Amino acid sequence: MSGEEEENAVELKIGDEFLKAKCLMNCEVSLIFEHKYEHLQQVSEDPMNQVSQVFEKSLQYVKRFSRYKNPDVVQQVREILSRHQLTEFELCVLCNLCPKTAEEAVAMVPSLKTKGRAHSDEVIEKMLNDLSLVKRFE
Amino acid sequence: MFFHMVLERNMQLHPRFFGRSLRENLVSKLMKDVEGTISGRHGFVLAVTGIESIGKGLIRDGTPFVTFPVKYRCVVFRPFEGEVLEAVVTTVMQHGFFAEAGPLQLFVSNHEMQDGMEYQAGDIPNYTSSDASVRIQKDCEVLLKITTVSVVATEIFCLGSIKGKYLGLLNDRA
Repeated sequence: MSGEEEENAVELKIGDEFLKAKCLMNCEVSLIFEHKYEHLQQVSEDPMNQVSQVFEKSLQYVKRFSRYKNPDVVQQVREILSRHQLTEFELCVLCNLCPKTAEEAVAMVPSLKTKGRAHSDEVIEKMLNDLSLVKRFE
Repeated sequence: MFFHMVLERNMQLHPRFFGRSLRENLVSKLMKDVEGTISGRHGFVLAVTGIESIGKGLIRDGTPFVTFPVKYRCVVFRPFEGEVLEAVVTTVMQHGFFAEAGPLQLFVSNHEMQDGMEYQAGDIPNYTSSDASVRIQKDCEVLLKITTVSVVATEIFCLGSIKGKYLGLLNDRA
């Protein structure tokens, strides 16, 4: 999988194609897949037969690991985090994992402290506080 | 990590599918061909969500088939080295445990666990910490970091590690 350059999420070396693509949080994927599954249910009697095994496994996974269930909340979470200078990848990892402290956040997304942006601990703590507030009001 | 991307594919269609439902036939063939496949570059292609564009069809020399360049939007799952993600333990063995994160299979070797984790054989094989506070067994949720991503033919397999301060068994979340 290493192309010309070694891939490494720690330093956000994930290739231009993925840096520019839209990342999806587990909850967003869950909404998309459920929508697709409902559409299949309308079209055929046995939707399970129509989907691939990887789709089924992925649907189960995102349902199990979704942090937010409400689509409006998901939208809000994205807006809150986009105010800070984050790449799509970092934003989604933070939303998926919901770290409690700045130290935990940096352990999960080491690139927060690199890439020339050097988010300070206070900024990261504020980000996480905003996230947990949204969760409380879901 | 899940991504929403625009990919391109040249779809071949036999003239018997032309006519009013040409586009529908093309789209359903695309979905059949592409959903559930794995590519080294894009990872697991899980679902086609829409069509961006369908180019002009060109007849392939010497055959009746027509090739249409199709751009489509889809959800893919692509693991990256260094990525931290949640997974579900599927099998526990002496050398380590297997886990699944969506379509992806991962293996965490016993060398990549916190010090003190010991394998316990039995009806429910598991890994228990020395102070018995942590027990990792089938169907447990763990937070792990991907250390290696390997693509062999059309299979993607990853090695992971739970040797880190915040990695390992996930307790019941609030």
